Amino acid sequence: MSRYVLIVAVLGVLVLALAILSLAAGPAGIGVLQGLSDMLHGRETIAATIIGQIRLPRMILALLVGGTLGLSGAALQGLVRNPLADPGVLGISGCGALGAVLVFYTGVSAVWAPALPLAALSGAGLATLLLLALTRGGTLVLVLAGAALGSMSAALLALTLNLVPSPYASYEIMHWLMGSLSRASLHDVLIALPGLLIGSGFLLGTGRSLDALTLGEDVAHTMGFSLRAVQWRVVIGTALAVGSGVAVAGGIGFVGLVMPHLLRPLVGARPSRLLLPSALGGAALLLAADLFVRLPVSGTELQLGVVTSLIGTPVFFWQVWRLRGRPV
Amino acid sequence: MILQTDTLSLTLQGNRLLHDITLDVRPGEVLGVIGPNGAGKSTLLRVMAGLLRPETGRVLLDGQDLFSMPPEQRGRHLAYLPQDAPAAIGMSVRDVVTLGRLPHRRTASAKQDIAAVQQALEAVGMRAFADRSCASLSGGERARVLLARALAVEAPVLLADEPIAALDPAQALTVMELFNRYAAQGQAVAVVLHDLALAARFCTRIAVLSEGALASIGTSSDVLTDALFAEVYGVAVRRCGEVVVPWSLVSRNRVL
Repeated sequence: MSRYVLIVAVLGVLVLALAILSLAAGPAGIGVLQGLSDMLHGRETIAATIIGQIRLPRMILALLVGGTLGLSGAALQGLVRNPLADPGVLGISGCGALGAVLVFYTGVSAVWAPALPLAALSGAGLATLLLLALTRGGTLVLVLAGAALGSMSAALLALTLNLVPSPYASYEIMHWLMGSLSRASLHDVLIALPGLLIGSGFLLGTGRSLDALTLGEDVAHTMGFSLRAVQWRVVIGTALAVGSGVAVAGGIGFVGLVMPHLLRPLVGARPSRLLLPSALGGAALLLAADLFVRLPVSGTELQLGVVTSLIGTPVFFWQVWRLRGRPV
Repeated sequence: MILQTDTLSLTLQGNRLLHDITLDVRPGEVLGVIGPNGAGKSTLLRVMAGLLRPETGRVLLDGQDLFSMPPEQRGRHLAYLPQDAPAAIGMSVRDVVTLGRLPHRRTASAKQDIAAVQQALEAVGMRAFADRSCASLSGGERARVLLARALAVEAPVLLADEPIAALDPAQALTVMELFNRYAAQGQAVAVVLHDLALAARFCTRIAVLSEGALASIGTSSDVLTDALFAEVYGVAVRRCGEVVVPWSLVSRNRVL
């Protein structure tokens, strides 16, 4: 068995174990198997309700949102050939969050619930289109355009918070921006699932093109790979996956930055080899972080996005430290 | 396979980069492309590699228009080695050379791929370095790895833009000999050079570019005349056997 297959297998087992733990963990002492069996047989027991309505949606979303974040981080890093790239860095998450906050602020989401996820998707999608419009070729321009988008969404989010009339609404927005799966429902799963899966499909298909791109755009082109095509795939895939993720889980950062960084020493630096392990690693990280926030440490449940950011920021600093003095 | 350019012209933002260039790179030959800085050598190579579309004229690969060829097919027929390639961060030498097999992903077996990579590594003398990280290599070693990547394509046409600029004399000779061996197998090689002595010694024919136009093309003794050096480079030369040494400026105006 090759080292790559072994690492993928180990990560797969880890994700499975964490997923089972995620179903089992909670204040109500119920049997997971009993609950699942009740649910599948349509028996309306308490165990079936807790598993089906609370824990299963939470586990599925942690797995898929974490997985797509890890995957889009790996794909974006391959595309811009920079280990600092991440959906957050390119402003896609920020614009998704802005879209969601705007419908929340205007009260549209109170009238029609699906408006929230749809707005997050649209925000991420618009950010994507703007990135593509600003980026005719060069990856440096892409990174700069992403930074500009990130700053713009941060400024507009601050403006919105500034203008919110009620302190309660501004507390709600702040809370949501910190990212959480504690209120995940089956409805959320259904809303996010298509985007998460289609986005992942787009991203998983980019491996060879990203490999070719490590030799530079010119050589990739002469080997039969189109930069525009792979840019479209990565950016559309990221918008779908990240937009859907932001819609149901709020702002969860740094998963896409951390996983490729941790896995590169194990599977090598070829982008195609990083995609699947980063997806599995991202899923494992978010499942583990979501288990951690459920631990009764203090009276309040920690926000998931806060935990991933606390894990991710040191890695971010470490990357910047390693890149110091290197020419741009 | 023969690569031909037919009356190529290209103007970008009002600058005439290429003008009416017709030449061919034949199987079994190393065509040296020389000329002063800014003469259009790299631009010509980029057009021949299918990276830049000419305004007028065509590039033909065995009579077929390069720009209407399916990209994957073009990738198998033509290998391009640019002047400067990005540092492949963290990748091993073998990984980088293996990338040269990407155009063959639907046409070659894994066994053929491994053999081609081994052969390319051996050709540039980097087999012992196969598992080293590219980040740990010197400039010259990295240049050889990137050359091995281009060789691993096993394309009938190889276009190399100043492949020996970063190399010491021994490595430069090794690489030029490698091009000759490659050509001797029936492949067509076009290589942009600044070193006139190496061009004269190793190239079957030499094409001289001047201000975007083809000033002369032919064997080194036909092309590298005193008159051409004065006209194109603005220098007077001294000769020492086959070796041509730029000695003094003919007209200071053209350099300054």
